[in-house]
Amino acid sequence: MIKNRNLPNGTRDEFGPRAAVKENISTQLFSIFKQRGFTKLTTPILEYADVFKPLNLDNYRPYQLLDEQGEALVLRPDLTLPVARMMSTTGVELPVKWYYGGDVFRVKKQLSGSYNQVTQAGIELVGYSSLKGELECLTIALAGCQANGIKEMTLELSDARFVEGVLAALPVPQPTKIALKQALFAKDLTVYNQISELLADTEFGEFLSEWPWLFGDFDTVIKVVQKLPKIPQVQTVIKSLNAVNQFIKQMAPEQRVVLDLSIPSPQSYYTGMAFRGYTQNASDYLFSGGRYDDLLTSFQQIKEPAVGLAFDVDALADRVPLPKQSKQTLIYFNSDQWQEAETVLKQTPNSTLCLADSREEANRIAVSNNQQLLDLTKEGE
Amino acid sequence: MPIKIALTKGRVEKQVVPLLEASGIDCSGIRNKGRRLIFDEDPVYETILVKGPDVLTYLNSGSVHLGIVGSDILAEQNNTQYAMLDLGVGRCRFVLASTSDFDPQQVRRKIIATKYPNITKRYFQSIGEDVEIIRIEGSVELAPLIGLADAIVDITETGTTLRENNLHVYAELQPVSTQLVVNRLALKQYHSEIRTLVENLQQAKNKLGVKE
Repeated sequence: MIKNRNLPNGTRDEFGPRAAVKENISTQLFSIFKQRGFTKLTTPILEYADVFKPLNLDNYRPYQLLDEQGEALVLRPDLTLPVARMMSTTGVELPVKWYYGGDVFRVKKQLSGSYNQVTQAGIELVGYSSLKGELECLTIALAGCQANGIKEMTLELSDARFVEGVLAALPVPQPTKIALKQALFAKDLTVYNQISELLADTEFGEFLSEWPWLFGDFDTVIKVVQKLPKIPQVQTVIKSLNAVNQFIKQMAPEQRVVLDLSIPSPQSYYTGMAFRGYTQNASDYLFSGGRYDDLLTSFQQIKEPAVGLAFDVDALADRVPLPKQSKQTLIYFNSDQWQEAETVLKQTPNSTLCLADSREEANRIAVSNNQQLLDLTKEGE
Repeated sequence: MPIKIALTKGRVEKQVVPLLEASGIDCSGIRNKGRRLIFDEDPVYETILVKGPDVLTYLNSGSVHLGIVGSDILAEQNNTQYAMLDLGVGRCRFVLASTSDFDPQQVRRKIIATKYPNITKRYFQSIGEDVEIIRIEGSVELAPLIGLADAIVDITETGTTLRENNLHVYAELQPVSTQLVVNRLALKQYHSEIRTLVENLQQAKNKLGVKE
């Protein structure tokens, strides 16, 4: 007898309705990706630890092990960097549209109730530098949520170039800018207010007092931005954000769009717009993505434009209502009736063969599984 | 749906309730709590009372939207949520303390007893020293007296307990105070409510004369 029958911390078995819901979500997403002409890319679960060096790990670390030569391997904590690794070593012709699906592994705080294995499904567009790349990702983000029956999702847009643009224009020394940025990103209002106080009497004063709260309804945020003096870099960023907002308005007039101009980019390799989706009572983002033209620079000399999007299939599964199942039909038959049973199985939706050998046993199974028994042996009696 | 606050019970609770009340939150339930742990007297904010180290567990999972907890615990648990506002109460300080015969310059790998191994590790790393850390759950002052450790890293408000145990302060580490911590996603979901609370708390601090 095996003594240790426990699961490792942070893992779980999935079965029954939850497993069905997750499978269904992945199927829906894959069919959208395929229908839009994306090609599948599967990378291994094991990678060298080095591949994930560009990753900023704030609240987890990877599972680590050693290969035969003693080199550090990890269970992949992310699915985007393996794509970059693959692109830099295989000479695939650009541009490409990949889609992928699989689990990522992140060791989170022990005994905190968090799961270390999370299912993702996503896309990577490499070689497209125009805003059309972002728009394709957003179209898929909305379609993915809609196909899975997610209602009242909020789409959040952000762009870290905004923060850099404003900071560059502030009339204070570099160390003060860095301190202000840190306080802004940490939302440490006590420190932030001390520093921004220094600029209260400048043309930036009014904007700075609002900056830590510069997120929410798109148009409201844009109004605050208009309090800033003209900064060319900032205007470029706002222009593309406006274009995306207009695009969403046309495509999905009911879609709620919010803007956050006070946060850092999700990862160091992001170079432009980022987008995420959430619902009001959820504690995880449903999807996140953005432009990361620096993605490949960790792996090769040549920079290539890249934009991508990943759905958190587990977060989606938490929000998707469990499908109402009609009663399953249990087909009971004698062994010599297999052909007949096969025909009935094909014709009856949501049915399954009863593999028991007595009617009594078939009855018991039907009762315990809340199934409707269809007895083929009775016919012709 | 109400906004849920996890409040550290005990001393933090006593110091923070006047601030919450001055911010317009009904704390009558907490004032006369009996054995209750959940307080829904206020129409907007529901407060739960938990132990300090559990505040971030609730906050990180998204089960509560806001937490009120000491910066000692935030630093020890490597908090990644937004510590938005220093409430200015519960002020104390981390210190390195030991008996009078302790020599901080002594060349050897020192043994340090503490309830805060992460903070201790970071402090000694910052001064380029490597130490052996022993985790103690309480009455940390005992460790150097009984010979378990060379010194301790602990928090002290007035230094009375240290003095009563004949311990001296050899170094002052980071200051500690009670913080309002906000779940990152909740801040977006409840933007206006949280902003109102933060601004009311800032005013309450001034009204009650809490020093920055």
